[in-house]
Amino acid sequence: MANTILKVENLKKDFDNLSVIDGWNLEIERDERIAMIGPSGCGKTTFLKIIANLDKNFHGKVEKNFERIGFVFQEPRLIPWISVMENLTFVFPDKDKIIFFLRAMHLEGFEDYLPSQLSGGMKQRVNLVRALIADPQLLILDEPFSSLDMPVKFGIIEDINKLRDQRKFAIITVTHDVKEAILLSDRILILSKRPSKIIEDIKIDLQKTERDISNTKFIQAESALMKRIFSLGN
Amino acid sequence: MKILFGILIFLILWQIFSVILNVPLILPSPYLTFESLYHLALQRETYQAIFSTVWKSLLVLLIVIAIGTPVGFLMGINESVYQIFRPAITVVQAVPVISWLALVIFVWGIGWKGPVVISFLSLLPISIFTTATGVRSTDRNLIEMAKVYKVSQIRIIRTIYLGSLVPFIFSTVEVIIGDVWKVIIVSEYLCGSDGIGVLISWARQYVDVPRIYALTIIAVALGITSERFVKFFFRKALKKWQIQS
Repeated sequence: MANTILKVENLKKDFDNLSVIDGWNLEIERDERIAMIGPSGCGKTTFLKIIANLDKNFHGKVEKNFERIGFVFQEPRLIPWISVMENLTFVFPDKDKIIFFLRAMHLEGFEDYLPSQLSGGMKQRVNLVRALIADPQLLILDEPFSSLDMPVKFGIIEDINKLRDQRKFAIITVTHDVKEAILLSDRILILSKRPSKIIEDIKIDLQKTERDISNTKFIQAESALMKRIFSLGN
Repeated sequence: MKILFGILIFLILWQIFSVILNVPLILPSPYLTFESLYHLALQRETYQAIFSTVWKSLLVLLIVIAIGTPVGFLMGINESVYQIFRPAITVVQAVPVISWLALVIFVWGIGWKGPVVISFLSLLPISIFTTATGVRSTDRNLIEMAKVYKVSQIRIIRTIYLGSLVPFIFSTVEVIIGDVWKVIIVSEYLCGSDGIGVLISWARQYVDVPRIYALTIIAVALGITSERFVKFFFRKALKKWQIQS
């Protein structure tokens, strides 16, 4: 129990008369990485909002054993009229720490740039730095790579995994991309259509060196997962 | 170059119509008008009138922004405040200038206060509603982001709400600067003691139509110059506020 960072029991969420989440049960360990895959509208982002305290209107039990959370949004959500550094000090004032993470995310020298002067990938890196500077015990990734091209996407994923190895935080990733899910998780939860249930909880048994999209074991895991998803009718 | 050509076309058309119409009491020729403008340029009272109209316009602009922005901000941030204030401000917006005029003359008589108050009341609703719309259209995603990271409400207001308000304040000034001259001059005409509107009123009494046209040219030039100046300055300042791609 002490090692559990998040425990969800019989979670239900309705929007008016529309049932979206229908009895989820889930437990996540302190340094565990999970990914969630499911069709659009099945309540993935709603679930993340519930965890992040942005949505308090739900049924069931959500036990949170963390104080600090990092949330990487689907879109960068940077304040357009202030610089990268000001965007980061807006949420966390420690400039030394910010500079450390900017360096780790290859953004050194861009502190005074406005968001509009950055590329899509750089904006998402700032979004990620903002999530990491508060030293989160849980990092949430809400489809943050959907608008990025492949090399940028995999570069960021590699950086996240590196930092996660150093700082040991749990990760919840929501994605539509099977590759992303495997690269960023130890367990993958497959969700059904709305009203959604967790229909499969798959363990990803890959070593660090095998988490490479050109690795044979990775390709096998990807193919097996794809088959499973199709067989479940998602 | 094209603008100069446009002005030339306008002057030619003006000349043609004044010749066809041949009633200088309705449409004096450009020559007569510019001759009158030349005489105005030589008179000290013209500059005093321009100065009077300019300071009144700037004063109105200042108080409209100073009062309209905080009231609009409160209305934008709180739905109940919006609903409570909206009917009163809508009524103020709908009241014709002439009704204010009766009230203002009754309270202050002829003088500078009347034009300032009338213009203020006419333009205040624009400032309030534009500001309220600005606050209401603040990017909810940014607010949500700030809440995830437990950013204090004061910082959210200062950085996100006030920041997203800047373009709306600028656009309010842009809209008002175009209108304020017209409203001030009309109010001066009706209840002012000095200013371009008063000079127009005197010219009317002497049936000096070219002078009315000449004073109108001064008013139009003031309006266009100030609008252009504000637009140029704001466009530069607003570069920072461009919407994130």
